[in-house]
Amino acid sequence: MSFVELWHLIIGNPILNVLIVLSHVLFGQFGLAIIALTIIVRLVSWPLTRRQLKSSKAMQDMQPKLQELQKKYGKNKPKLQQEMMKLYKEAGVNPLGCLWPMLIQFPIWIALYQAIMSALATTPENLLNLAHRLYPWDIVNQAIPLSSHFLGLDLGQTALQAGALGLLLAIIVGGTMWIQQKMTTAPSVDPRQESTQRMTTLMMPLMFGFFTLMFPSGLALYWAVSNIIGIITQYFVTGGWGYLKFRSPFSQH
Amino acid sequence: MKNTKIIVLVVISLFTLLLVSCAPGSAQSAGGWSGVTVHNNIIYVGSRDGRVVAINASTENLEWSYSLASATALTGGLSCSPTAVSAAIYTTPMVDGDLIYIGTYDGRVFALNTSARGKNLNFPRKTYGEWVVFVGTGAGNDAIVADMAMKGDFIFVSCSDGRVYSLEKTFGDLIWRSEVLDEKHKKLWTSPVIHGDTLYVSTFDAHIYALSAETGEPEWSFKSEAGFASSPVIYGDTIFVGSFDRHLYAVKIGSDVLEWRFPEKPAGNWFWASPVVDEGIVYTGCLDGKLYAIEADTGKEIWSYQTEDQNGRPSPIVSSPVLMDNLLIVVNESGTVYVFDLAGELANEGVPWWTASIGASVRSPFCAQEGLVYIRGEDNQLYIVDIDNRQMSQPIPLTAES
Repeated sequence: MSFVELWHLIIGNPILNVLIVLSHVLFGQFGLAIIALTIIVRLVSWPLTRRQLKSSKAMQDMQPKLQELQKKYGKNKPKLQQEMMKLYKEAGVNPLGCLWPMLIQFPIWIALYQAIMSALATTPENLLNLAHRLYPWDIVNQAIPLSSHFLGLDLGQTALQAGALGLLLAIIVGGTMWIQQKMTTAPSVDPRQESTQRMTTLMMPLMFGFFTLMFPSGLALYWAVSNIIGIITQYFVTGGWGYLKFRSPFSQH
Repeated sequence: MKNTKIIVLVVISLFTLLLVSCAPGSAQSAGGWSGVTVHNNIIYVGSRDGRVVAINASTENLEWSYSLASATALTGGLSCSPTAVSAAIYTTPMVDGDLIYIGTYDGRVFALNTSARGKNLNFPRKTYGEWVVFVGTGAGNDAIVADMAMKGDFIFVSCSDGRVYSLEKTFGDLIWRSEVLDEKHKKLWTSPVIHGDTLYVSTFDAHIYALSAETGEPEWSFKSEAGFASSPVIYGDTIFVGSFDRHLYAVKIGSDVLEWRFPEKPAGNWFWASPVVDEGIVYTGCLDGKLYAIEADTGKEIWSYQTEDQNGRPSPIVSSPVLMDNLLIVVNESGTVYVFDLAGELANEGVPWWTASIGASVRSPFCAQEGLVYIRGEDNQLYIVDIDNRQMSQPIPLTAES
């Protein structure tokens, strides 16, 4: 069995079939199915998300101490790094702690993405290929093919093809991603790093806004919903807007 | 440290996007699976790179080829996702005198003159009767996926805006367009079938419609529980059509009651290919790889035959079976050709009289004439199988360089 077949068997096909069942249950609305499945995946991956958020919160709480270290050892980089690592160790925080849970979740996101693309079956080839990935459940086969229309959007078309609505979707995706990033990204204690970081925080939402225009709207809907859920959970778990309203000390100079 | 983390995240995000959009199992671009037609010893077929190719059937030499690609062809852009080659051809060329009618994935219907194309004149050569028209919105988004139909002076086209269009075949003028027959999916990927003065169309949203060929007005409709995957076929006063719910349906024209559906318990997959009917027997291929022979009156199975690939695994039947005299020809997706002799000793036992493999995947409609079977492979080559002599000629490449 090839890797692709194994991938579909274990992750891809279950998600695809659940997506189709959801679409059937939710009045044949594929858009609602995407929203529901995004919520379900978020719930299932909640333990990982919580760990990621806690790690992020711990980093946030350490900021005053990190800034003190910056003031103290700002000119001695190796010493600063050494002291920072010591501080992380004492606090029991892994600076990459909020990265690993995200990495573990990537296969799920990939499968979800593929499921959306497969279920939409925008080309005849895709529709035919879909036949071999469905479970022999009546509810699945009766739901096929899915309607790709949702809130005036054709979820199979790129946002660019969708005109004004597509542009709005791109702004929502970019905007929500920026808010989420701002909430979670701890400001750097190094002015140069801070500048790069600010640039990256801006680049990611711009990139995803651009991708929204290039990829089918169904995927953009998933990104938007996923970001909004991310913002909400972040708000309640870390108790507020995180670094969203935080002004970097370097930006004042 | 944080910087590294962010850069890693950006790189992972980009890599993931590329991976998921291009990986097998993700969306596949529209490449087309045009069928083959043979007329006056010339083979006409659409290639995978969007050209109509004419080949001399005797010499197997290229007569002419013409690219239907538009100047505004869409590409996949950043994503490898389902943006189509605009000139992808799914329709089978339809020949009428010197004109070849063909539809494209970007919603254009072409009338090509064989002489003008043979001389490589600029298109459209109106003095030769050539034209091209958009159906649908005209924006190029309303794909033509199903074979077109012709009756008298008119061509009938199913379009991805969910409507059927009637075009006058001399100039391509629009005669009528039907109401949207599939509001839910807004696409029609099945062919209209002409029976008397009426067109019959099956839809993804589980309807069969009868439309007046003259006006496009609906005359009758039938509603099922699941969407129809295949184009309808009419035999006597009964419509046979395959469904996504893994059944084949039989419906009497004008009735709102299902005549029968086959099999009792769902088959292994969808009935994607249109069936053929002969002497009261329906022959239908299924995506589970089985060929079924069913009594047309009762829906009772007479026999079934499991087709396979070269490794002995079931291979889906995507292309409709074809009848040639008393022979039933079936080609499965793995490219295995099965010939059943319907008048022979094994006619009622479902045992093939001869099998051969072309060695290429097949999804296109194929045609059979005078002992020869013409098949377009997914490898963009044309295969000719000589059934009488049980031989196969060298494949003919359909690539632009050939």
